[in-house]
Amino acid sequence: MKWATRAGIHINRAACVWLIRRFVDPQAEFLFVTDPAEVPADATPFDMRGVELGHHHGDCSFETILRRYDLTADPALQRIAEIIHEADLDDERFDAPEAPGLDVVLRGLSMIGDDEHTMAVTKPVFDGLYEYYRRATLLGREPA
Amino acid sequence: MKSSLQPPATPNGPGQWVLLSYRLPREPSTPRITVWRKLKRLGVAQISDGLVALPADARTREQLEWIAEEITDFGGNATLWIAHPAAIAEERRLAQAMADARAAEYEALRAQAEEAARDQPDDERQRTVRRLRAELRRVQRRDYFPPPQRRAAEAAVAALRPVNTYSPSSEENSA
Repeated sequence: MKWATRAGIHINRAACVWLIRRFVDPQAEFLFVTDPAEVPADATPFDMRGVELGHHHGDCSFETILRRYDLTADPALQRIAEIIHEADLDDERFDAPEAPGLDVVLRGLSMIGDDEHTMAVTKPVFDGLYEYYRRATLLGREPA
Repeated sequence: MKSSLQPPATPNGPGQWVLLSYRLPREPSTPRITVWRKLKRLGVAQISDGLVALPADARTREQLEWIAEEITDFGGNATLWIAHPAAIAEERRLAQAMADARAAEYEALRAQAEEAARDQPDDERQRTVRRLRAELRRVQRRDYFPPPQRRAAEAAVAALRPVNTYSPSSEENSA
């Protein structure tokens, strides 16, 4: 399937790309556009204004995708969603001290490479975060 | 962190601004308040009723886009514009108003930090430093034209950090 989002990805879109590839559509192909009108008819748009997989009622697109694809029962994804929400919206809905650090890392990455580069670098970062929070859930405490 | 009233992008003419023009129904009032709080948090310049502005960059544009989306979800309407003020003087006025608003916030932070440094016992001061650091970070996030008061507030909050109990002299004594 084809997926489209705005070019110049930051934390929320990088996390959405990871989420879609790992949990929704392993064969996902991503297109980056500068205007919503450029999204091809056969692509699913996300994290853009006026689309289903965008921000709705104070949720960021990552949270919207979790809900839309029934992924909300996974506590590790839920924790990542809280971090992404705070890094993206910074509205203190959640307590996520990881957020400001991750946000700065992503902003810096976007300054030294294109979207392909950001996606390549962030994939193992999100894989690692997922594993960390998965273990934390199993252990009931912070893993070593 | 030098003081600058010149938004980025163009060196000579006025810079780019992102404007959000919006309308929300008068009732219910909760969405209006929610939206206004979010705009305040972003540190927007209010140009007139239902028209706010921020210097344009990837982040400000995106944040205002999402607020526009939320206004639409609430049954209002919202349009986002990228604009240049017609004259540099107008832009300066806008930027100065934003810098003044941040300066007042930095001043309040500095005053609170200095008061805590003077009057509070250690444990209370620790709680204060946590609160003031968070508040300082919130103000910095919406500071697009840093006023000189920024440095003073940063220094006053930093000076509240717990005194280091591990000093070279105590090491010598215990050795």
